[in-house]
Amino acid sequence: MPNTGLAQVSNVTLVLAIMLYAVAMLVYACDLAFGERRAATATPSGQRPERVEAVALVGAASGAEAAGRAFPADPGDPSELADLTSGRAAGGAAADDAAGGGNGRFRPGSAGLREPAVAGARRSPWPQGPWLRAAFLLTCAGLALHITAVTTRGLAEHRVPWGNMYEFIAAITCAAVLVLILGAVRFRAHYLGLFVLLPVVLALAVDIVVIYTPAGQLVPALQSYWIAIHVTAMIIAVGMYLFGAVVTVLYLLSARHERRVAAGREPEAAGVMARLPGADTLDRLAYRAILFAFPAWTFAVIAGAIWADHAWGRYWGWDPKETWSFITWLVYAAFLHARATAGWRGLRAAYIQLFGFACLMFNLVGVNLWISGLHSYAHVP
Amino acid sequence: MTQDLAGRAEAAAHPAPTADLTPRRFGVFGWLRWIWRQLTSMRTALVLLFLLALASIPGSVLPQQGIDPAAVSQYYAAHPALAPFLAKFSGFDVFGAPWFAAIYLLLFTSLAGCVLPRSYRLARSARQPPPKAPRYLGRLPQAVGFLTSGSPDRALAAAAGLLRRRRFRIRTGDGWVSAEKGYLHEVGNLLFHVALLGLLVSVALGGLFGYKANKLLVEGETFANTPVGLDAFHPGRLVSANDLQPFSITLRKFTARYIASGNQRGQPSWFGASIRYNSRYGGPQSGYDLRVNHPLSVDGAQVFLIGHGYAPVFKVTDSRGVVRFDQAVPFIPVEQSGLTSAGVVKVPDARPRQLGFAGVFLPTEIVVGGRLVSAFPAPDYPRVSLVSYAGNLGLDAGQPQSVYSLDTSRMRRLAVSPRPLAPGQSIDLPDGLGKLTFTGYRQWASLAITYDPGQLPALVSALTALAGLVLSFLVRRRRIFVRAGAAADADKAVPASGPADADKAVQASGAADAEADRQGTAVEVGGLTRSDAAGGFEIEFEELASEIMQEVRDGAAAAGQSGGEAATAVAKGE
Repeated sequence: MPNTGLAQVSNVTLVLAIMLYAVAMLVYACDLAFGERRAATATPSGQRPERVEAVALVGAASGAEAAGRAFPADPGDPSELADLTSGRAAGGAAADDAAGGGNGRFRPGSAGLREPAVAGARRSPWPQGPWLRAAFLLTCAGLALHITAVTTRGLAEHRVPWGNMYEFIAAITCAAVLVLILGAVRFRAHYLGLFVLLPVVLALAVDIVVIYTPAGQLVPALQSYWIAIHVTAMIIAVGMYLFGAVVTVLYLLSARHERRVAAGREPEAAGVMARLPGADTLDRLAYRAILFAFPAWTFAVIAGAIWADHAWGRYWGWDPKETWSFITWLVYAAFLHARATAGWRGLRAAYIQLFGFACLMFNLVGVNLWISGLHSYAHVP
Repeated sequence: MTQDLAGRAEAAAHPAPTADLTPRRFGVFGWLRWIWRQLTSMRTALVLLFLLALASIPGSVLPQQGIDPAAVSQYYAAHPALAPFLAKFSGFDVFGAPWFAAIYLLLFTSLAGCVLPRSYRLARSARQPPPKAPRYLGRLPQAVGFLTSGSPDRALAAAAGLLRRRRFRIRTGDGWVSAEKGYLHEVGNLLFHVALLGLLVSVALGGLFGYKANKLLVEGETFANTPVGLDAFHPGRLVSANDLQPFSITLRKFTARYIASGNQRGQPSWFGASIRYNSRYGGPQSGYDLRVNHPLSVDGAQVFLIGHGYAPVFKVTDSRGVVRFDQAVPFIPVEQSGLTSAGVVKVPDARPRQLGFAGVFLPTEIVVGGRLVSAFPAPDYPRVSLVSYAGNLGLDAGQPQSVYSLDTSRMRRLAVSPRPLAPGQSIDLPDGLGKLTFTGYRQWASLAITYDPGQLPALVSALTALAGLVLSFLVRRRRIFVRAGAAADADKAVPASGPADADKAVQASGAADAEADRQGTAVEVGGLTRSDAAGGFEIEFEELASEIMQEVRDGAAAAGQSGGEAATAVAKGE
């Protein structure tokens, strides 16, 4: 029998989490609206240089001393690398003056190449600016509550809390926010906050209002340790796929913006666009998300097959859920191949990825609600 | 999966130039080569991936014969015009359809055509040393430079030493070091694709040598694993009746528990079938608790618990007072929340007329709005409600009949009020035709028996594919180049970047050691990756380059302390 007290705690914390997310979204939006502009004007190439101060530091580089080093490139941001290079070229004379010291022979680095950066000199991965920092903290607090909600639900039910659609959506949104926070720190992609939280808040709202299911026991078919393996892997993969899809949508918008700028037309939403990195960076970030999601998904499908073999006597039986997992896998595989095919990179690959995500969503929503099969555990009221 | 495939795509986009550019007539060989090129091109692979995804969709939307034959029959009844048309195109057997097979076989051919030449290339490149260092490292995607004391040769030796310790393959030349690492990227990529071929073979293996069977077993009954003893038997193409594992199973007792209160009331919480089995006919018997997610393995075959229901027991006597029927009849659940089950009783031996009964079993009978329904799946208030028929059951007509349906076309419905029967109660049929007694009920369990020799190979293939995938995403193939020369020469000779500078450039290498000792040595480090799927080469390069710088300078400082001269020279320079 479920522990109703804990289940109640779970319900309340989930509502609090969604409220914090909503506030975080608002603050992220404020950052986009009032936060420090990262670029005054777009460069002719369409790339927006970020953090010009890094370039200035190159000028202070002096001779063979370790102190004189260029600030390292943003690993996830080739545009910044380009800025560093162009900044160095432009500021070359200044660098000479600064480093001169009476002997012009030793320049920063050798032959005009910058010196390698010593590890530990990288830019802070944490969000910069008051708005962004506040929004980030709110998101982290929301995630803490979200994790509490999922955990207490599990404790209330004495099982992994992903036995029906309500619990599954609560879990995948939790995974998506976790991926957002890790991705934002790892790739310094804090600008993504608003855009990832938007689908998360919408999904959670629908989850709570429309498909809430009280805490309860699992049907015998789900009583297996494989639920902890198969469904958890699915949740992680879906969280990453969601992240990838959001970044891809931003990529498409950014690419459109860059085309407009390149064509000399008046850009739309230039203020927001100026806060995003170049399309190229977004494209890579989305690609990376899929590179992590795809093996996770593959693992989840394999784990599902092993469980299916254990429970139903066959590892693959073309159950609608299985079929759509396969379709999703194929479309994302096509995306990965498209990324490596001349003429398919960029926009086309992005559309394929979004199509893959549509298949994933159909598998989650459509197959649960409209197609009956062995995976009909959704219990949507 | 990544950049390497780009090579494949570009190769297809720009076929090897032919010596003579005038159009030539394709011979048979030419055509074959053209077709092969098209098939193994990346674009074709992409299209085939999409086609396979598209072709799978009808399999999830239309009912499939192999998954739910009853739903196919319902579809035929609901769409009498459309269904035969769909059946013509294997709409109810999509995953066994020739067109579906055509797509995946083409895809796998394309895959093989891509993997084989690439394996050959990988094997060849694994035996070759890394390429020479390019002249102008500043043009590489990653490039840094630094100055050091000491001779260029010493700097290069230090750099090569470090790279070798980092398990790079090293090639050295006059004034340069070239290093390469990350062959496992391509290995992983190939492993993934080869494992997919293995998966296909495993599935085929199961299809040829495996079998699937179903058996519905009432408590107390025994069955033997033979084609006759099974309800449904789907052998693989190369399976004969002799290949079945000779075991027999007796269902002793089936137990189901249900949640009795709360919002989940009626939902099952536990199923278990207590069975006895022997793995040889006449062999010793063992007991087993068969549960969902807890199958029984016998002799390579596996037995699963996949369903359950009630089997009311009926006793029928005919007009002569002879007991013509006395057995449990499995009723099939028509809904899950109360487990209302439907079934028929056929008494062909009754005289003077054959008797038939059709009705429902209600585990917990209640009346809602004048209708009988079951409120709970457990047998708390079990009742049976039957309609009685007399006449000809049609069993002699030669048409095979389902045991779960009654053909009433040549039967007459008897005027008996269909009041629900409690266990022990009877219906007296009119005109002295006989009597039916509902003596009690038992439970039944349906078992699935499967044997799939492709199972283990499929698992191994799938896990290999996953490992290959992870390997190819995590490992990047990268090259690091180091050049060293006298600082003064390097300073004016090597262009920073941009083609304009490059035009004026003069080669930097080959400066005299003496000159280097006096003026210091300029070291350049360049790097590029062909497959940086997961990204982060920039970081690795930056760290590696700074370590090379440290190593080279430390080496030079150590040498300088012992030698003294070079260090002094550099100190003067500063």
